[in-house]
Amino acid sequence: MSRHSTENAAAVALPKLCGADIELGNFITGVEHAGGTGYEASRALLAQIKGLPNRQNGYLGNLWTAAASAPRAGAANSAAVCASTSQWAWNPQDVSRRFLPGNGACAYIDLDHVELCLPEVISAFDHVAAWHAMLRIMRGALDSANEGRRPGHCIQVLANNSDGQGNSYGSHVNFMISRRAFDNIFWRKAHYLQFLASFQVSGIVLTGQGKVGAENGRPSTPFQLSQRADFFETLQGTQTTFNRPIINSRDEALCGRGASGDLSAPARLHVIFFDSALSHGSCLFRVGPMQLILTLIELGLVNARLILDDPLAALQSYSCDPTLQARAELISGESLTAVELQSAYLEDVKRHAAQGVFEGIVPRANEIIALWEDTIGKLAAGDLMAVAPRLDWVKKLLAIERTLEQRPELDWDSPEIKVVDHLYSSLGDDGLYWAYENSGFAEQLVSPERIAHFVQNPPADTRAWTRAMLLRRAAEEGVETTSVDWDTMTFKLRGRYSWPSYRAFDLQNPLGSTQAEAQQIFSSTRSFAELLDELESLSGGTTLPRKTLTANSSNSQGEKRYALPSTIQQ
Amino acid sequence: MRFLQRFNNEQPQAGGDGDSGSDGLLEQFRSQGDQLLAAGDEAIQRALAGSNSEAFLRAGRQQGGE
Repeated sequence: MSRHSTENAAAVALPKLCGADIELGNFITGVEHAGGTGYEASRALLAQIKGLPNRQNGYLGNLWTAAASAPRAGAANSAAVCASTSQWAWNPQDVSRRFLPGNGACAYIDLDHVELCLPEVISAFDHVAAWHAMLRIMRGALDSANEGRRPGHCIQVLANNSDGQGNSYGSHVNFMISRRAFDNIFWRKAHYLQFLASFQVSGIVLTGQGKVGAENGRPSTPFQLSQRADFFETLQGTQTTFNRPIINSRDEALCGRGASGDLSAPARLHVIFFDSALSHGSCLFRVGPMQLILTLIELGLVNARLILDDPLAALQSYSCDPTLQARAELISGESLTAVELQSAYLEDVKRHAAQGVFEGIVPRANEIIALWEDTIGKLAAGDLMAVAPRLDWVKKLLAIERTLEQRPELDWDSPEIKVVDHLYSSLGDDGLYWAYENSGFAEQLVSPERIAHFVQNPPADTRAWTRAMLLRRAAEEGVETTSVDWDTMTFKLRGRYSWPSYRAFDLQNPLGSTQAEAQQIFSSTRSFAELLDELESLSGGTTLPRKTLTANSSNSQGEKRYALPSTIQQ
Repeated sequence: MRFLQRFNNEQPQAGGDGDSGSDGLLEQFRSQGDQLLAAGDEAIQRALAGSNSEAFLRAGRQQGGE
């Protein structure tokens, strides 16, 4: 099938399933290596994440693990590394991606950073809860990893995106979109790409974590809204570690073998733009409004009047002005502040919401819109204190300016101020965000119970549910899970005459294999092989069921073809 | 306060004439917010007391990631 096949296809909007892969800063205080201590810290942390599947890699897997885990010079003084090097040939924990039977998420090491991947969710509010659940798991691992360490040589974990020394690491969110929309953004309609980029750039007033200083050769500045702005140097591209693009064009669908080339399968938009978030509001805003804007893009409801003339230049201007007065030019010649541009996007979204465009596609769309509108309104009104409980960059700015008031000997260039910047996102007891949360100064958009739920349980309305349940069931029955990925799992069963039999199970449909669909099968089947048989019949083998919404291009009215699971109905 | 001062000076102020009820609520929140922010002061003082900030920052060097 060629790309020509999409030319006359109906506009399709898919439920905005969302995942995330988020790296953490990790190091050991009091220890200085030329290359940092991320190697030791990340491995000591991953070793403490409970509930990893106890699987044995095959021969080739062990070779890979051995090569990837070989210790580097300067790393040998870590007890954790010594422990792992003594058994490195048989320890797949280092580096390897490990899925969690508790919630269907995973953790691994990427370039010496612990990376946390969230289970797939559909609701932006569940994204917030799932992220905080993973932070809770990580905080537990941090406490355990620090037990017995020498005072002054503790592991630090920061949920941020830059070390202040020119090194950035990512906080990526992933959205399921139609293949047609993906192709339109990257191959056919340049204004779609610009529309999305302009939205993301102006969105840093909501999503930024805040940062002291500038990096990557950028002009000096005391404080900026975005951790990441300094590192974006091009508009679009596949790369993520250099010459970073605002819009990443990596095309890995993660919904079946070869799905990236299958125009009937959904695509995954890999969004590398946003900062790590701790505040519930900032976290929600990196997903909820994106779900709405991507729906408009899927349905061709793109307002080209909102496109920035130079999104990269606008990003720098917006980020480096916490007074929110910086203006950037649109292609129309009009100049808008980031708040004004967000307000214009919001008005478009509200107009389409009134026509029901987001129903069945973006859960709790009206709540997302209300929060977005309330926040933009307060920013436009100049009421920073009112949005401080909701937004990370505002809390961080307030904390630093209070410190500067109370310690007049310090200024923006003082290392102490940069330490406060880092400690805002610390997952340890010294974490400033947690101090605010404990005092009631951090708005909670999801309940502690919902967060606790996602520590132990997968989302009920995506394939993450069956992934987690299969991992649990396999462990209970002594079935070896030989490999796990987002869209496939392989188990080693006992065949005839006890010969091993390997069985692959596909989870190609991210919206399938939900609790509502699969729970009965889990409770009624006897053997593991029967369980897989039944689950396969449920999903139609390798067929990918789809939930779609077609749009009438003249009036944007949607016609639902399939109902969503009741758990995600608005 | 530097940025906050500039922010307050340059932005149109919320409320304006007339809506004294809304102004009162916002003022109440600001007052409460100031108290709540104080929770961070203690954490900051504790973190900075007796620590070597420059050494902390050097130790925090990371690999570029993603």
